Amino acid sequence: MAGIDVGGHGGRRNVDHQIPLIPFIDFLLCLVSFLLMTAVWTQMSRINADARVPGPPDPDKELDEQKKDLTLHVEMRGEEKFQLVWKEGNTVRDTIDVPRKPVRLTGDDFSYPDLSQKITEQWNSQGSHRADSDLKVDQAVLHTDNTTKFEDIIAVIDSIYAPQRPIKLGGAEKTIPAFNVTFAVD
Amino acid sequence: MSQKALSRFHQPISVPGRRLLSHLPLVFVTKKVSGGGHKSVNHEIPLIPFIDFLLCIVLFLLASFSASGELPIDKSVRLPSADNVEDMTQAPMIAVAGQMILVDGIPAGTTRPVKEANRMQKLDELFNLLKGRREVYKQINPGKEFHGIAVLQVDRETEAVIVKSVFQTAALAGYPNVSFMVKSRGGGKKKG
Repeated sequence: MAGIDVGGHGGRRNVDHQIPLIPFIDFLLCLVSFLLMTAVWTQMSRINADARVPGPPDPDKELDEQKKDLTLHVEMRGEEKFQLVWKEGNTVRDTIDVPRKPVRLTGDDFSYPDLSQKITEQWNSQGSHRADSDLKVDQAVLHTDNTTKFEDIIAVIDSIYAPQRPIKLGGAEKTIPAFNVTFAVD
Repeated sequence: MSQKALSRFHQPISVPGRRLLSHLPLVFVTKKVSGGGHKSVNHEIPLIPFIDFLLCIVLFLLASFSASGELPIDKSVRLPSADNVEDMTQAPMIAVAGQMILVDGIPAGTTRPVKEANRMQKLDELFNLLKGRREVYKQINPGKEFHGIAVLQVDRETEAVIVKSVFQTAALAGYPNVSFMVKSRGGGKKKG
């Protein structure tokens, strides 16, 4: 029967080698151990804030074109409560008080579930951009004082991002936050 | 050479097989060791599937090796956590570590002027560094859209006046889309 000659003739070195299995397995186990030890199990993420806010009204445009959207102002300067203020330009449309009740999570983490719930309710009733074909999102403006801690700001931004809505982009549907957050300059 | 002839010499390597306690002249011990009619307790690992399995683990770990967790985080910075988060993105990393401000590890001023004045203000060194980076990007990628994304890595105890000053400076330097680096709690809907 015919076979393939893999060398070993003519004084040349044999090209047919076998992998030494035990060292190979040891090597693989070392590699697995190294990769497991260096694997990072905590997932870093980001929470978005945007400085691109709609500008002042353009005097050259028709008044109908400049129909202003309602903007949600989240006032977190109070010790006892948050204040949600719906504004149309400078006109206050609605004001809602939410008790400031932080809920402790693991470690130093905390959240404001009451605020998340109230903002979701408010967006469901008063949000301007709720259709899945609408590519714009509602604007939320965060008011803080200078001494507020960053963890507190993140907890409130997290609550503002609680309401989510579907959006159709190029035929595909995805979920995005209902609000875009920015900081007030005051 | 026959087996009988070989047995006259001392052989350092012998045929593999069960050796444990086989020399004891007790029948019940021999029976126990050899399995005693039950299924043998001495199994061999099938090597080929075992190597395949190890290779699969290695490939999986290698694939997930360069995940976003590799991001350099200053030891002194304790990040806050959030539920409604997005995946990390490739962007300049502005870190506020103590009083130092670093952009991708390069010093870009301090937060001392803001702290002393206790009011929001533009941080000139940070502004110049970010503006320079933006101009370099535009020169390297002519005609390509500049997304203006920056990621802020801030300690959870940092005061809002510093956060807002850095945020405003980044926006003025052409990075209006600022994200805050957080730890994901995984409770919300994570967006791609």
